[in-house]
Amino acid sequence: MKKSKHIELVLITAALASCHRPAKDWQGGSPVYVRSDSTAQYTRIYHHHPGVGLWYYAFRPYGNYYKGIYHRAGYYSDAFGEEVNIGSNGFKSSIIRGGFGEGAWSVGS
Amino acid sequence: MQRITIPPRNNWQKAVEQLGFGFHTTNVPYWDESAYYAFSMDEILYIEKASAELWNLCLGAVQHVIDNNLYHLFAIPETFIPYIERTWTEDHPSIYGRFDFCYKDGQVKLLEFNADTPTSLYEAGIIQWFWLQDFDQSKDQFNSIHEKLIGYWKYAQPYLYPGVVHFACVKQSLEDLTNVEYIRDCAIQAGLDTRLLFIDDVGWDANDQVFADMQDQPVKNIFKLYPWEWLVAEEFGVHILTDKNRALWIEPAWKMILSNKAILPILWQLYPDCPYLLPAYFEPARLTDYVKKPILSREGANIELIKGSTVLQQTEGEYGEEGHIYQQLFTLPSFDGHYPVLGSWIIGQEPAGMGIREANNLVTDNLSRFIPHLII
Repeated sequence: MKKSKHIELVLITAALASCHRPAKDWQGGSPVYVRSDSTAQYTRIYHHHPGVGLWYYAFRPYGNYYKGIYHRAGYYSDAFGEEVNIGSNGFKSSIIRGGFGEGAWSVGS
Repeated sequence: MQRITIPPRNNWQKAVEQLGFGFHTTNVPYWDESAYYAFSMDEILYIEKASAELWNLCLGAVQHVIDNNLYHLFAIPETFIPYIERTWTEDHPSIYGRFDFCYKDGQVKLLEFNADTPTSLYEAGIIQWFWLQDFDQSKDQFNSIHEKLIGYWKYAQPYLYPGVVHFACVKQSLEDLTNVEYIRDCAIQAGLDTRLLFIDDVGWDANDQVFADMQDQPVKNIFKLYPWEWLVAEEFGVHILTDKNRALWIEPAWKMILSNKAILPILWQLYPDCPYLLPAYFEPARLTDYVKKPILSREGANIELIKGSTVLQQTEGEYGEEGHIYQQLFTLPSFDGHYPVLGSWIIGQEPAGMGIREANNLVTDNLSRFIPHLII
């Protein structure tokens, strides 16, 4: 049933190896927040959303509120290109984000 | 099919973590190698045959729904019907799906089809394979998931737009990220130019009327591990219809029909002689023993098992407002109180392997465990 005995993974082990949560958290059941690139260091911050515990961030988002809705514009991180991370420009101003992901939990099925 | 109890590998946690499998344990164990299921080759061939035939029947059922304009049974917004039909007639690429089977007394019965956002792919394709290499290399497994994923991305590449293929999921789930990064890994090995883009970072360029990534580059091909019923209901959903790039979304929108449990009564109506289908209806009156399922639900939520006038089991959840279907009760087999569901994968157009999830009761939910298997 298996056509080849050799399996190679070029991306996922390196990308995810740094993402798994510390062992002590496994028993706690707290959510884990991850990144997938391996180019930036993690920093720890406490997110102030109710009911949400420790977040792991490789980057922190920035953005602004428009009509009461937060629109993310980019990340403070060297892991992304300059156009993503620094200020705004004419092109970027026409792009809004956050219109998907309201059901932002595991889709598991 | 036998359930064999074994001692787990020493330091198995490290072994699976080295493969990038970081969610093997949450509040409760998820990856469980204290047992495995053993199948004969005849049993595997039967499961494979059932999967291939059901896939063909499912494609016929999609055509039937389209031809007879049955979208109202699926709670699909009318505004998306032309788009769904375009993705079907233009044959937008579909990569995968997972049938959930009850296998008991030599019979395979379809419980549901996770056609849009199936998970546990990495466990089925990689983790249990490497477990088998440690446990008994002389044995085989129903598992060509990895090879078929790479092969199908190669096959599909000419049907995609030139350039980057984005891979999207939610930020907050390591499980979802692992599944998506694994599929992206296979796409990279197939030669595709890929980029990860979290679903809530997808941008909409109001000037150009196109979707954009975090580098403000246009999104033209996007694999998403995010349900269509959520996409269409959210703020940007309507932009899918007006997107000037006509981006290819994978899985395509026609999978909204197959991932919806309303497909189960449709399949039964069309193919009542199929040995792999259970009687299913949109109303309960025709069944005495049945399972009531919301047409849109996830992880075993809002399920009721009814036997005569007795409620065998019911689960909590937030689904059901779109309607329900009623499927003949066919309880999972019990192996000393362990209840396995077989997840049979379709990659491209072919059966590709199997993963088994096991629960302590008759409903497989998000606390169920993944158990490896082998062929004896």
